[in-house]
Amino acid sequence: MGPFDAALLGATLILATPILLAALGELISERAGVVNVGVEGMMLVGAFFSFLVAWKSGSLVLGVAGGIAAGIGLAAVMGVLAITAKADQIVAGIGLLLLAAGLTSFLFEELTAGRGQVQLDRIGPLEIPLLSDIPDVGPALFARDPIVYAAFLSVPAVWFLLYRTRWGLAIRSAGEAPAALDTAGVSVVAVRWAGVLTAGAFAGLGGAFLSIAQLGLFQQEMTAGRGFLALAAVFFGRWHPLGVLGACLLFGAADALQLRLQGAGSVPASVWVLVALVAAAYLVRLARERQRRAVSPIALVVVGVVAAAAVALSISPPDGRLPSQLWLALPFILALLVLAGAVGRARVPAALMRPYTRDER
Amino acid sequence: MRDRLAGTPLDLALSLAVAALALGIAALFIGASGVSPVEAGDAFVQGVFGGRFQIGSTLAAMIPLVLVALAWIVTFSADRLHVGFPGQIVIGGLCSTVIALEVAPGLPGIVALPLAVLAGAAGGGLYAGIVAWLWAKRGANEILTSLLLNLIAVQVIAWMVRGPLQESAGSLPQTDPLTESAVWPTLLSNTPLAWDLVTVPIAIVLVAWVMSRTTLGFRLRLVGANQDLARQAGVSPVRVGVWAIVVSGALAGLAGASLVLAGNAAATTDSFEAGYGFTGIAVALLARNSPWGVVPAAFLFAALDTGGGVMEASVGVSNALSEITQGLVVTMVLISASLLYLRSRGRVNRIGRSSTAMEGT
Repeated sequence: MGPFDAALLGATLILATPILLAALGELISERAGVVNVGVEGMMLVGAFFSFLVAWKSGSLVLGVAGGIAAGIGLAAVMGVLAITAKADQIVAGIGLLLLAAGLTSFLFEELTAGRGQVQLDRIGPLEIPLLSDIPDVGPALFARDPIVYAAFLSVPAVWFLLYRTRWGLAIRSAGEAPAALDTAGVSVVAVRWAGVLTAGAFAGLGGAFLSIAQLGLFQQEMTAGRGFLALAAVFFGRWHPLGVLGACLLFGAADALQLRLQGAGSVPASVWVLVALVAAAYLVRLARERQRRAVSPIALVVVGVVAAAAVALSISPPDGRLPSQLWLALPFILALLVLAGAVGRARVPAALMRPYTRDER
Repeated sequence: MRDRLAGTPLDLALSLAVAALALGIAALFIGASGVSPVEAGDAFVQGVFGGRFQIGSTLAAMIPLVLVALAWIVTFSADRLHVGFPGQIVIGGLCSTVIALEVAPGLPGIVALPLAVLAGAAGGGLYAGIVAWLWAKRGANEILTSLLLNLIAVQVIAWMVRGPLQESAGSLPQTDPLTESAVWPTLLSNTPLAWDLVTVPIAIVLVAWVMSRTTLGFRLRLVGANQDLARQAGVSPVRVGVWAIVVSGALAGLAGASLVLAGNAAATTDSFEAGYGFTGIAVALLARNSPWGVVPAAFLFAALDTGGGVMEASVGVSNALSEITQGLVVTMVLISASLLYLRSRGRVNRIGRSSTAMEGT
């Protein structure tokens, strides 16, 4: 099976974790009607301040708390801008990105001037008894950081919160019909604030995972686009926790695969088989959709050619190393493709990006 | 409607207050890092006005900032908030580089330079065209796709300067020196300032004129103000939106062309974008989206860049401070604009966009 083994599964979980955490928080925020393109910034301050607190205090638990607090702190700036001041959410998010990048770079340079890279002990794996003894998949799935479990357990938790509790109903109403929520006597402003701050906490935890759980150190701009992948995951996951989980696993798997293949001399046949299968499945779907709506013949031809090429490549995989930059760009290219292929039919929360003012009722 | 306020004395006063406050907070940061703000301020002023070289550097840094700010104004007027400027700068600069390296040697100088500049604009426009196409045809959110394309562009340029376009010596990740005939001649000798400065007044006058005096500009503003009204008037928001995105991409590509075809580096590296793409947005916000206002706003940010660099070298204050200041400016512009909005509900000066924000197609 080439690169498709238990180690890849484990790497997928690790790489999906920070994206999943940030995406679940963003999901709650967007469901409440506030989109925050500054997720990347909240992750970055989470990564930095968890590193800083863990370094200075010597406690990883305090570090995690510090990362979450920092994420909430930056989210509060977003709340002031987007909810209280009713500013444009996209522009506010860009402000957050700039603030976070500048603040963390400045403080990091000031703190570590003239000193080498500070390496911390990482949070160790938490082995779940019995389950981690399963051969192959056991260690890959059940001997992980506590934060990894927290991320994946958050998926049903967020689902339960959104669909089975009064709070969840309030959150969804704030994003779909804020006027109705207001009429029912619930403060739209308070619900949206809660959503935005929750997103900050999740993103901060995701950042903390990157710095003190995964690497044990901080690097400038270390989030490297994961916050943007989280945003894409919320769109691709159609504003549903399970969809978001699927999208994050997909991005995590793409990242794990590219890390593996960067080092390989050539792309193994099994990867091409996978590409061929996906292309063929999409071709079948397009062909079926043709009965219901107009599908451009160009799309059919393009997907067909891709499928055929992948089949040919899987029969005789070419030798030669592909540039590592192509692999690094792979998760982003994949995110772009899924957005292009799926978002057109998604249902955006009706009041997303609309500041709520009572007299608009 | 949102440009009604741009250019009023109140507007100007607000922008000045924001700039002063941001610089004040930056001074606090300097003080906190243990350096006398007076000393740092002195180094800063020396770095901006201290001599021919410093003035030349500051003016040179203004050029891409003005072009990107104009790019934002164009797309913002049509209510299409894409944020793909960093990627469009990179791809535009890359196209100019290819022309300057591969095509220019066989051409007379009078053709080579314009061709290289136009290639930059075309490259940026085409790259933005991907965003426009995905938005218009696939309903994919333009903010997300443009963010992802930025990340992909970073890998593209990283690969090009290590692969196909790497210098013949083959040791450094950069191209060969660009052909002399395709490079802007120096305007102020022994400084990075070149004749590409002339693109600034031309672009400003052109954008200001098109926006306020032509049917095209009227359509752009109509779509930006009210999509339903535009539709009823027979103006297609989709077509106008596509044009706005592509034109703004071309302006960003022009900025990329300036960055590679002028300045002090003879060859193209993978870091020439240097953050201008996002800083340009901050410039436009500080200018309150007025094409004329971008000149003083760009001067402020260019000064932060060059002065910050000198400050780092002489008194050891991290240059990341200028990034923090940018973030502060964005957040404070948003807050001040919103306060103004709350103060006088009647006047529509919301820096945000109309409520039809997310309705793709």
